[in-house]
Amino acid sequence: MARIIVVTSGKGGVGKTTSSASFSTGLAMRGHKTVVIDFDVGLRNLDLIMGCERRVVYDLINVINKEASLNQALIKDKHCDNLFILPASQTRDKDALSEDGVEAVLADLIAMGFEFIICDSPAGIEHGALMALTFADEALIVTNPEVSSVRDSDRILGIIQAKSRRAQSGGEPVKEHLLITRYSPKRVENGEMLSYTDVQEILRIPLMGIIPESEQVLHASNQGNPAIHFKGTDVAEAYEDVVARFLGEQRPLRFTDYEKPGLLKRLFGAK
Amino acid sequence: MSKSPFQKPIEIKISTVVAVSAILHTSDGIALDAALKGMTGGVSDFFEGDLAVIDVGDLAPGSERIDWSGTIALLKKYRLNPVAVRNARPDMVDEIVAHGLSLDTGKRDETSAPPVAAPVVAPAPVAEPVQAAPALIPGANGGANAATVIIDTPVRAGQRIYARGGDLIVMAVVNNGAEIIADGSIHVYNTLNGRALAGASGDASARIFALSMSPELVSIAGVYRTFEDGFPADQARQPAQIRLNGDKLDIQSVNSTTRA
Repeated sequence: MARIIVVTSGKGGVGKTTSSASFSTGLAMRGHKTVVIDFDVGLRNLDLIMGCERRVVYDLINVINKEASLNQALIKDKHCDNLFILPASQTRDKDALSEDGVEAVLADLIAMGFEFIICDSPAGIEHGALMALTFADEALIVTNPEVSSVRDSDRILGIIQAKSRRAQSGGEPVKEHLLITRYSPKRVENGEMLSYTDVQEILRIPLMGIIPESEQVLHASNQGNPAIHFKGTDVAEAYEDVVARFLGEQRPLRFTDYEKPGLLKRLFGAK
Repeated sequence: MSKSPFQKPIEIKISTVVAVSAILHTSDGIALDAALKGMTGGVSDFFEGDLAVIDVGDLAPGSERIDWSGTIALLKKYRLNPVAVRNARPDMVDEIVAHGLSLDTGKRDETSAPPVAAPVVAPAPVAEPVQAAPALIPGANGGANAATVIIDTPVRAGQRIYARGGDLIVMAVVNNGAEIIADGSIHVYNTLNGRALAGASGDASARIFALSMSPELVSIAGVYRTFEDGFPADQARQPAQIRLNGDKLDIQSVNSTTRA
């Protein structure tokens, strides 16, 4: 059965799109037919992160307005045969996202046999963000270990509990997962950053994974390749762990402890 | 089950608005101005445009006529936004309505108006009179059981829960930026980090209990207290209760090891 997962945070710039790209890529690499939808109408950038911006012809709004078919708008990922991207519109107003229209698009995607439908939410709690979460079965809450980000995530969790279709119909609630990004064990150790246990203490939802702060992410974005493709890096491995946990595997938490560089490492430099 | 915001141009729903009460003890504009100036310490945005209900019930009968234009302008000067008048005498009604204010015909607050020197005055919520079915019995355990509201999920930033006419019991965490309100008492069997307002329609016997107390703001029967410099350290994050003692809010430990 298809699962609709919203990737959301409230706050901007915490890593929603980066995480959507790597998470959907990771699911597809494991053989699951996956589509990732950019709900950030007017400020699209999922296609940039996925490296398919030059192939965008039609977008989500065109499909909603029946100006294009889903098959015309879906872009096949350049690495994974199982992954498709439904880009947002750059030129349209976000009010063009109608609830009925989004529902119809999601129903069509399910009918096409997609197992996972990832909705990359815009920042904020406005219409675009609401449309991204309304039909979600599960939510990946992306949070930085920093008070304002945690507060905004708390707010968006409240909105999911109130406004999602599952909440409104009184059914089983949306399953929530916490994804902490830009985590720096060293800064946690120095007391400059909230620890993941602090964040969990406030948000009280199950932890799906921790993505360490890394220069690799910017590099990946600029190249238009999701960070999970950079094999062997901390970030790629952390995202692989997230995908594995999401699919029900047990993986120990990694990248949470700060190892003081040893003397030799300090003398000769790591990198 | 469709509820798209685009289908209806307007929706009318019952809502409860939190307003402060401005209880007049005099109609003398100069005295009021001086008192407000003293209260706000000259901070121009002290009230940040809070809604205000002007309560004239404490004015001595036969006292001087109220200069409504002057009073409204005065409150606005201190960034209070008067919207209604409470306990108006019948002869005032025409003039009040002519000034665009509503009449609040709700019952008189049971709380005696705290003096200006109190932490800060403001019999708080409920601009709209509350007519809950099981009527609140003031003093009787702080509320009728039938109206008790129990919440099992975390109360998150931006959420507001109001137990009308009864107690509110929260089993999960109340986070910063959340607001829980009850006409009776508030019980939090977890950490209270947000705002808690008990006795919202004036029950001064209401109390606030939490297993880990570190609220942003507490209020009982409109007397409120904020904790700008942090909650008192010896009681913070401990089991505690908060009750109204005269015009002061007392914080008391309910730790079984320290309690008699």
